Amino acid sequence: MREPPLIGPYDSNDVLAWDQRGPRTVHRFLADAASLAESLPDRPTALNLATNRYEFLVGFAAAIMRRQVTLLPQSRAPQTLLRIAGEFAGSYALTDRDDAIEGIDSISIQPRGGHAAWQGDILRIPSDQVVAVAFTSGSTGRPVPNKKTWGALTAVAQATGARLGIKAGERISVVATVPHQHMFGLEASVMLPVVHGLAMHAGRPLFPADIGSALADAAGRWILVTTPLHLRACVAEGLRMPPGGLILSATAPLSRDLAQQAERHFQAEVHEIFGFAEAGSIAERRTIDGDRWRPLESVRIEQDGPSCRVQAWYLSAPVPVPDRITVDSEGGFIVHGREADQVNVAGHRVSLGDLNHTLMQIDGVQDGVFFLPEEGAGLVTRLMAFVVAPGKTSDEIQRILRAHVDPVFMPRPLVCVPSLPRNATGKLPRESVSELARQWLEREGHDA
Amino acid sequence: MEQSGSSLLEQDLAKLIVQTLKLKADPAAIEPEAALFGEGLGLDSIDALELSLAISQTYGYQLKSSDPQIKTIFSSLRALAAAIEKNRTK
Repeated sequence: MREPPLIGPYDSNDVLAWDQRGPRTVHRFLADAASLAESLPDRPTALNLATNRYEFLVGFAAAIMRRQVTLLPQSRAPQTLLRIAGEFAGSYALTDRDDAIEGIDSISIQPRGGHAAWQGDILRIPSDQVVAVAFTSGSTGRPVPNKKTWGALTAVAQATGARLGIKAGERISVVATVPHQHMFGLEASVMLPVVHGLAMHAGRPLFPADIGSALADAAGRWILVTTPLHLRACVAEGLRMPPGGLILSATAPLSRDLAQQAERHFQAEVHEIFGFAEAGSIAERRTIDGDRWRPLESVRIEQDGPSCRVQAWYLSAPVPVPDRITVDSEGGFIVHGREADQVNVAGHRVSLGDLNHTLMQIDGVQDGVFFLPEEGAGLVTRLMAFVVAPGKTSDEIQRILRAHVDPVFMPRPLVCVPSLPRNATGKLPRESVSELARQWLEREGHDA
Repeated sequence: MEQSGSSLLEQDLAKLIVQTLKLKADPAAIEPEAALFGEGLGLDSIDALELSLAISQTYGYQLKSSDPQIKTIFSSLRALAAAIEKNRTK
C-alpha cells in the first residue's frame, strides 16, 4: 500500500501560503492543523466551508489526521448544505467566518492560538483512505457524492505537476480564482501546491485588478489557476502580469483565440485541464497547440461504443466520461460536446432535466423549461426559464427556486408565458424554445 | 417612480446594469438604495465581475475587492454610483 505524505518537499520555514495578512510557514501550518485536529469532535464527516484557502487546508488536514472525510459542497446555499448534512448523518461544519448555518453544528477553524512547536515526522496517509467527497448534480436533483481517496488526489497532483514541468525544489507560487470546494479548485489550487512544495495564495481574487496584485506579490515563477471567464475579463481589462508565468484553465472549454491573446498579452503559457468531478483531472493540453487532449500519466481512456470510460490505478472502477469524445490510436482524444441533457454555466455542470424537474415541483407551476441560449457577448451565458404558472409572478417563482437551485443556475430571466410550444407528442423541441427566447430578447431590447 | 430621487449617473448606471446582465427589470424601477446582490436584484460574483468590466470600460474605474470599502460600494446603486463619481477617469 502506498502512503503518500500529508505535504510534499518543503522545509519547515518555507512559505506554504500567503495573503495580505502575511505569510504562513509550513511549520505554522503543521501546528495549526495538529491543534485543530485535537479539538475536532468525534464525527465521521465535516463540511469544509472555509473561504480562505489556507484555513480550508488547515481544516482539510486536521480532518485527515482524525480520519474524517471532508465534504465539498458546490455552494453555500443553506438548502444544499442541509441536504448534504442530512445524507451524511453526524456531519458538522468547519467555517472561517461567523456565519452559522441553522441546523448544522459549526466549528471555527481560526484562531487556533497555542503555537506548540510541531514535532515529529510528516504524517503519511494510506492511498485508499477516503479523504473527500465532491458532489455533482444527479438525475433527481439531489447532489450525487463522489468519493476521493488520498491516493487519487495525490496521484492527479503529481501527474499534473509532471506535465506542467514543475521541478522539485523550484520556487513557484500558485494564485487561484476558483473555489477550492470545486474539484478542479481542490486539485489545482490546493493539492498541486501541497504535493510539489509550492506556495499558495490564500485568497480568491475576483476582479482583474485583484488577480494582478496577487500575482505581483507572488514569489518566484507563478501559476494562475483560473477559468475562461476570469481569463477573458483579464484580457478585456488589459491587465499586466509579471512575465514568464503559467496559466492553467479549466471548468469550460477555452477558445484558441482567447488562449492566443492571453499567451501574447501576458507572456505566459496557457494550458487547459480536462476533467470532471467523478474522475478528477484526466488530461491536459496547451490550447494554442490544437484541440487534442493528452491524458495525464496513468490515465487510460477506452472507447466503449459511443461512450468512453476512464481507467486509472487510483479509481476503484472505470468512470464514464460525461462528454462525447473520440479517442485516437495514441490514447489522446478530441471533445465534441456535452451529452445532450448536460449544460455548463460558468464552469458548473448541471442536467437540464434536473432543473426542469425542480421547477415543476413548485406549487402553482403547470409547465416549465430551462434553456441555455447560444453564447453571447457577455462573460457568461446564463440559463433562461419559461414557466406556465397562472396567478404567480416570476418574482414569486424565482424566490422559491432560489432555495432549491444553486445561484449560478438561477434563470436570467424567468419568463411567465401562457403556454409552452410543445409538439403533438408533448415534446418540447429545442428549436421552439430557442425561438421563444429569441422573441423575448428582441422584445426586451437585449442583443439576442 | 423614484426617478426624481435618482441622479443622472444613477440612471445611466441602472441602464448599464440591466443591459450588461440581461436583467428582466426596468432600469427606472431599480431603487437607488436597494440591495444589488443576494436578495434585491439577486446578483452573484460572476455578475460582479461582468459589471466591473462594463464599469471599467465605460467610466475607467477599476474595482478591487481588496478595497476595504468594496462591500459598501456594491451595496446599492447609489453607493456604486458615488464610488464611480469619485474614481472615474472617463
